Formats: sequence, structure tokens, C-alpha cells
Amino acid sequence: MTATPTEIAPPPPRRKVNILFGLTLIGLLLFLWLMLAIFTISFWTPLNISNLLRQGSMTAILALGQTFVIITAGIDLSVGAIVGFAGVIIAWLLQAGVPVWAAILITLLFGVLIGTFHGFGIVKMGLPPFIITLATLTSLRGIGLLITNGSSINIVNEDFSNFARADFLGIPSLFWMVILVAVPSFVFLHLSRWGRYLFAVGSNAEAARLSGVNVNRMIFLAYILSATFAAFVGVLLASRIAIGNATQADGWELQAIASSVIGGTSLFGAVGSVHGPLIGAFILATINNGANLLNVNSFWQRIITGLLIIVIVYFDQLRRRRSV
Amino acid sequence: MDGLEEVSHRHDDSATLKEASRIAAGSPILELKGLQKNYGYVQALKPATVTFLAGEIHAIVGENGAGKSTLIKLLTGVITRTAGEILWCGHPVGLSTPNEAIARGINAVHQEVVLCPHLTVAANLFLGDEVNQFGLMRKKQMVTMAQAVLDDLGFGLPANALLSDLTIGQQQLVATARAAMRGTQFLIFDEPTAYLTRQESAQLFKLIRRLQNEGVTIVYISHRMEEVFELADRVSVLRDGTHVGTRLIGETNENELIALMINRSIEQIYHKEEIPIGETIVDVRGLSGPGFDDVTLSVKAGQIVGLYGLIGAGRSEFALGLYGREKTTAGEIHWMGKKVDIKNERTAMELGIALAPESRRDQGLCLNLPIGLNINLPVFKRLSSGPVINHTAETSNADKQIRDLSIKTPSRRVNASSMSGGNQQKIVIGKWLSHGARLFIFDEPTVGVDVGTKAEIYRLFAKLLKEGAGIILISSYLPEVYELADRLHVFRGGKLVASHDFHAASHEEVLGEAIGV
Repeated sequence: MTATPTEIAPPPPRRKVNILFGLTLIGLLLFLWLMLAIFTISFWTPLNISNLLRQGSMTAILALGQTFVIITAGIDLSVGAIVGFAGVIIAWLLQAGVPVWAAILITLLFGVLIGTFHGFGIVKMGLPPFIITLATLTSLRGIGLLITNGSSINIVNEDFSNFARADFLGIPSLFWMVILVAVPSFVFLHLSRWGRYLFAVGSNAEAARLSGVNVNRMIFLAYILSATFAAFVGVLLASRIAIGNATQADGWELQAIASSVIGGTSLFGAVGSVHGPLIGAFILATINNGANLLNVNSFWQRIITGLLIIVIVYFDQLRRRRSV
Repeated sequence: MDGLEEVSHRHDDSATLKEASRIAAGSPILELKGLQKNYGYVQALKPATVTFLAGEIHAIVGENGAGKSTLIKLLTGVITRTAGEILWCGHPVGLSTPNEAIARGINAVHQEVVLCPHLTVAANLFLGDEVNQFGLMRKKQMVTMAQAVLDDLGFGLPANALLSDLTIGQQQLVATARAAMRGTQFLIFDEPTAYLTRQESAQLFKLIRRLQNEGVTIVYISHRMEEVFELADRVSVLRDGTHVGTRLIGETNENELIALMINRSIEQIYHKEEIPIGETIVDVRGLSGPGFDDVTLSVKAGQIVGLYGLIGAGRSEFALGLYGREKTTAGEIHWMGKKVDIKNERTAMELGIALAPESRRDQGLCLNLPIGLNINLPVFKRLSSGPVINHTAETSNADKQIRDLSIKTPSRRVNASSMSGGNQQKIVIGKWLSHGARLFIFDEPTVGVDVGTKAEIYRLFAKLLKEGAGIILISSYLPEVYELADRLHVFRGGKLVASHDFHAASHEEVLGEAIGV
């Protein structure tokens, strides 16, 4: 027998560890809910819960799109600006008398176009994702302000603006939208070969290319998904606040990135899931909601969010280092 | 002489350095006792006990993957040991950071120069150790001092030249001078001559001997036997992570060292079977592209075509061109008798070409993803119905390759990064076995692979050939291509300069053609 490298101990199967991490995140979320339910009177009320779900839903959808991009080891800083821009576009279209279904479709199409532009900048022009999406962030806000001349466009279409306030089976319609997006996303990321390719591109693009993966196409796809999800959130937000305003959703890109990272996505790429960012988004929403109920200064909320990101990601790093 | 001494004086106030220089020549300066390193689930260095004597030149030889680089990294504090003890001048030390190693006077000169190419020679010599006055750098003084050092060593290099303007050999000398200036007591050379010309090597050897005369202990790592016998006082042999012996250079010979290194005869490893040669699979005519020019060769079923040459001779570039990764500028490719246009990697794959690329880390593997995903990556299309992957097909294909290639892992879900070099190479190969390729390009398939795995890989070649495939084998290790290839092509400077049938030319002839003498 030749002296081959010696085996030491079998590592724990990967999947179990992932489920465990998912469980601890859900555990954290439930713990927060329990604490708030005990220590505040108003948390566990139907009004507050549906409020919480509504707010968390929009971040969740953004975080999901962002996760696809981060898995490829990229970043999409433009999603907050796209939300504001999409809100302006749909308000504008509705004002011009375009039917609701067509207005939504056209707005989503703008998302596709913006994502395609990002893909083009990264793949064809060789720009770093950080730069191209930062450029879009600032320009889209500018274009939105130009269109609205710095003010807001009111949405008078009641069918449209009632949607975000409606419930279905006792659950806010916005939360149903999360499910609508999350189920196909799960199939895409975890069950289809495109999902595997996305991870491979994020892990080692050259190895993926030499294995026959169309790397450029996967990068285009990730940014298109992220931008389109953001445009969709823009539609939902416009419905919720019944106006289109280019300065809305300020800083949401950071909320989305934070949710994704809290949910276990690695900014170095090739690590991430669909359920992680969803739970991450609702943890963030719960913290904001709870802080409001506990009368915590909103300035403190930002600080707490920052600390939380450090703590959660640090523990995630520890876990990863141990499992390597 | 003065230049070097004046500069290294600056370091003499360090207590540990003084201690090291007090050790009498010939007594132990550095002792390793049961030193051991595990990477993940793999033992890269099994408990090793080696003693280095002050003022000796101690060579370390071993094949790729024998544990040489692990040993250097342990001694220079780049990685931390799993178990064992290191005694420096008789006292146990941690050596857990590079700074600690440097502070104690332990330095290394690497095969690939790790200096800043955009800085001048002087700036590199003083990097991290600049001469300051009032917090500002004394640039002029440093250039003068650096020039004194260079002149003293007889390099004939200007101190204010940019490092990137020097040849790799000259850069290697600068790296050595830098280590010498820092009052180094213990200097490790990691295959320093790999990229050097003969003249540059001679200059380096002169410098090494001079450092030895000044009392510096030298560890010299190389696979070139003639250098070991020329320079070393003693030699230690590593094999598959095990320290298998240390010999006085006067009491050993090349055959004994090789036997210790590989533990078997050449014939046992390169087992060449008689396989009937079939139809032509690919016929390449005058192919040119980035890094290779006018290459004509063909591969038949049942045939291994070897491409030999030095690093950068254009062999890997040719492979990437044939595989569609790089755009070719001229020439034709005929596949099974039909002219084809290989636009990209996917066209190549569809034709039936598989490429196990040169660098596992950069091109071959998604290291932080599971073994199973890596194995299945080229064939996910076949494992899916529509866009959705068939879970059973996915797991059974991965498990089959792991079993067939005896990849040593507890599960297909383990990340590729925790595997040893040999097992990683098996994953790279395993990726292509279920693809059904006719032409396999193996680029340096046995670098960093232990001997047992090497033999397994060669047996796999025979199996593929019997199934009617053809193989292009690229290797910088002459015995490998020499013993395995039915037809051997020699590359030099991007061109195919010579072709031989099996054993039709001697080792020396082939080597001469590759070097161009």
C-alpha cells in the first residue's frame, strides 16, 4: 500500500450545518418576537404584525435579488435607487392612463433593462460591480428627480393603491408577494442547474468557464434578477404609499445587503441560500419595529443594526472556520 | 564586504540574533522534534525530527507534494504546526508568525520572487526597514547603502533601477541580498534556480557559499540532484509528508536519494500497456494564438501525445487555444476528419474535448464548493430534466466518480479545499470522466500529487485509451512524458521544435531541444 494522505475524522455533513444555521436564525427571530410580545403590549396585535410583515416583505424581496448577485461574488448597490425610480415610472404611467397590468409590466421591463446595463458594464466593459452599480444608484435618483421635477406624482388609481393595504386569507398581500418570488427563486437557486452555475461562478469563474458554464450569461442573469426584483419592490412601495417619488427607499440597498449577510450569504461569493436573506430581512424589520414600540431613539436603531450585523456575521465566520 | 556588514550591523542589537550568532559552527541551531502539520483531514507533514547544524548547507529533496513547502511555511511562521516542538538555539520557540521568524533571524528566498516590482532595488532592499530621520525616509542614504551592498556582492546592478526591469534571476539575487542584509542567521532557499539561467545560478551559488562562510545556516530545497551534490553538506529526504532520512553528502549517491524519494523503481510507476492505435481524432494544422505559433500535431485513438517543454514554452497556451478558451489567430483544426471552428469552451466540450487544466486552484476547482458539485459541473445539463436537476442522477454520478477514482473523502458534500493535492487532482479528472470525451488534455496532471496517486492516474490513462480515447499529456517532468507518450513533441518559445516517437531520442537530446542548446 502506498503512503496516501491519512484521513483523520469525518466532518459533519454540510447540509446539516446549513439547516442548523437556518434554525438558529429562525430561533433568533422567534426569540425576538417572544421578548417583544412579553415586554410590549402593542407588539402582538394584528395591526402591528401585519405592519411588520409589510415592511419586512419589501426588504426581503430586495435581499433575495441581492443574494443572487452576492453569490457571484458581486454587489448591487443600485437596488434602493431602482425602487425609487420604479415608483416614479409606474406613477407616471398610471397618470398617463396606462392600464395597471401594462404599467406593472413596463416598470418590470425597466428593471430588466437596468440589470442588463449592469451586466454589460461588468462583462463587456470590465467595470467592477461596485462601480457600475454605484453609478446607476446616483444617476437613477437623478433621472427620477428630472421626471418628477423634484416633487411626487400622486397615484389616484384606487385598485392599485388598495393592493398593498389588502389582506388575503388574513395575511398581508405584500407577504404573499414574498412567497410568489421566493418559491421560483428556491427552485432556481437550489434545484436548477443555473443555481449550481451561479455558485460555481462565484467560487471560481475560470474553473466554471473551463467546465462549459457560460459565465457571462450567469452574471447578466444575476444582475437582471436583482434589478427586476428591485423594480417589483418599487411597484409594491408605490402601491403602499400611493405616490411615486424618486427619493424614496433611501438606503434600502444597505438594508438588503445586511439582510442577505445576516442570512448567511458570504460577500466573498459562492455561499448563500433563499431562506437566509428572507429570515434576515424579517429580523431587521423586527428590530426596527420593536425599537419603535419600546420608544428607542431611531438613531439608536441604526447603531443596534450595525452591531447586530457584526455579531451575526462574526459567529457565522467562526462556524465556517471550524467546518473547513 | 563592508557594504553588507555595515548594513547588517543595524540589526545586531536584537537579543535573539546575538544568541544565534553565539552558537558554534557544527552544533544544532534549529531542531524539529516530532513536528507535524494537518490541513483539514489531511496530514501534510507527518511527525518529523530533523536537526539543522549552525553553518551547514542542508539540502531537502522530495517529490512535489512530499511536504517540502509545508516544512518551509512552518519554519518561516507562515502556518502554525499541529503538533511537535521547535528548538531554536536549544530553546523551545513558537514560530507562529512571520515576524517572529524574521526577528529570530530566519528568512526564506522563494522560487517566485515576493518583492514589489514597482519599487526600486534600493526600496525593495530596505522595505519595512527604511532608514529614517525625524520620521522621514533618507532616500539618498538608502540608495548609497544599497549600492554598496550590491557592489560588495558583485552583482553589477544599479540600486535605483526598478525591480520589474530586472530578470527573474537578478530579482532572485536581490531577494537573497535583502535576506542577507537583515542579519539572517538561517536562510531557506525554495527551489531558487527554477527560473534561472546557468550563469545566474552560478552567481547565486557563490553568494550562498559566501553566506555560509559568514556563519549563516542554509537550507536548500531543490529537485535538481546535481545542485544538491554541488552545494550541500547534508541532505534530508521527504516522501509523502514523511521524513525518510538524512545523509551526509559524502556518504550517499543519486540512486540512493531517488530510491528514498520515490520508494519504487521507475518501471513500477510508468506502466505502459500495448494499446492498438486507431483512427485520427484530432488533426491540428499550423495553429497559432496568444503564446503559441504554428503548431501542427495530431492525436489518434489509443495514443498518448506528450508535450514537453519548460514553463512558459507555450504548451498550456496551445491547450487553451485548442479548447477554445483563447482565440486562435491562424491554422485549422480537423475533428474526426471534419474541419471545425472551436469558438469557445462549450463548442470544444460538445465535440468531445475535455481539459484538466494546469492549475487546480485557479482553473480546475471551485475550492469552497462541495466535491460533488465540482464533479458534476461539466455535466449538469445531462443530469437535468429541463432546468431542474435530477437529484438521484446528481448524487449517483458524484458518488460513482468518488468511488471509481478512490477519492478519499467522507462525503461528496465536503468542500474541495479540504482535500490533499492528489485528491484534488482526482476531482479535476473525475469531472470529465462522465462527460464522454474522445480527447483528453491533461495539463501537468501529477504536480503536487503523491506517488501512489500518480500510478493511479497513469492506470486511468490506460483505461481511457482502451476505451478509444486519445490523450494530450502536458508535463514539465521529463521522465513522465518520456515513459508514457507514444509521440513526444518538444515546445520552446511558443513553437513546436521537435517530435519523437516513443524512446526515439535520449533524455539529454529532448532536454537540449527544450532548453535550446
